[in-house]
Amino acid sequence: MSDYRRSQNEAHPNKTNTLMTGIILLLILFVSIQIWFLFGALNNALKENFTFAMTTFVGSFVLAIASFWLLRYLPDPIRSEKEGKSSKKENR
Amino acid sequence: MNEKHEKVPNWKSDFPIEQKEAAHVNRREFAKYLGLLSGALALGNGGIVIKSLYFPAEELKGEHFVCNKADVPVGEMFQFSIEGSQVIPYILIHLEENEWRAYEQKCTHLACAVRYRADLGKIECPCHKGYFNPHTGDVLQGPPPRPLPQLEVVLKEDQVFVKAKEQDKIV
Repeated sequence: MSDYRRSQNEAHPNKTNTLMTGIILLLILFVSIQIWFLFGALNNALKENFTFAMTTFVGSFVLAIASFWLLRYLPDPIRSEKEGKSSKKENR
Repeated sequence: MNEKHEKVPNWKSDFPIEQKEAAHVNRREFAKYLGLLSGALALGNGGIVIKSLYFPAEELKGEHFVCNKADVPVGEMFQFSIEGSQVIPYILIHLEENEWRAYEQKCTHLACAVRYRADLGKIECPCHKGYFNPHTGDVLQGPPPRPLPQLEVVLKEDQVFVKAKEQDKIV
């Protein structure tokens, strides 16, 4: 019997792939911004510029939280056919 | 039953991992590593904050004798170092009559030793051709990102002393 999830997967067979690519690209973007922050902070902290160090730390921390939060939306691993069949049986 | 069993080659039962599945797990792991890296970068940034909060660089205390006035003619520079928690090399420049400047000798780019070039009227870092203004220590040209740290020169009779410059912070 067809259900919503199955028909959706059939309509968009590349969905998992697109999601994964999107998440990885976003993570790379976050990490790049963090590297930029860290570089700036290292450069300025040598001059005891506390405000800049604090601002970049807050920014970096928020981006790290966003990165961890994004990991929640990672698609589940594809089950091998054997496991898939057995789980289907269980569902029935 | 036996026939069915024979159809599955031995290698397949020994390595029951499908390529598609393995590739998928790798991308998941990659994404997780990126998350881990993100956390590590945030921690690094926090480390900088902690360092500047609890371990600030010690300011130079008191006045330090450098040399006699007569030792450094106009247009010359004099190298000296001050021993504190660490030995920091400085240069004393006699720009004009009664115009003295003292800077840290380490270039703010990659810590090469800078020198005063009287013929150019600039402080030069010979490693990557960075130039500083000898009057203010500001960067004129080249890769250095910040001005040279400066000390205040105090003249007492025929002797030259240096002390920490007040308000030496970027706002």
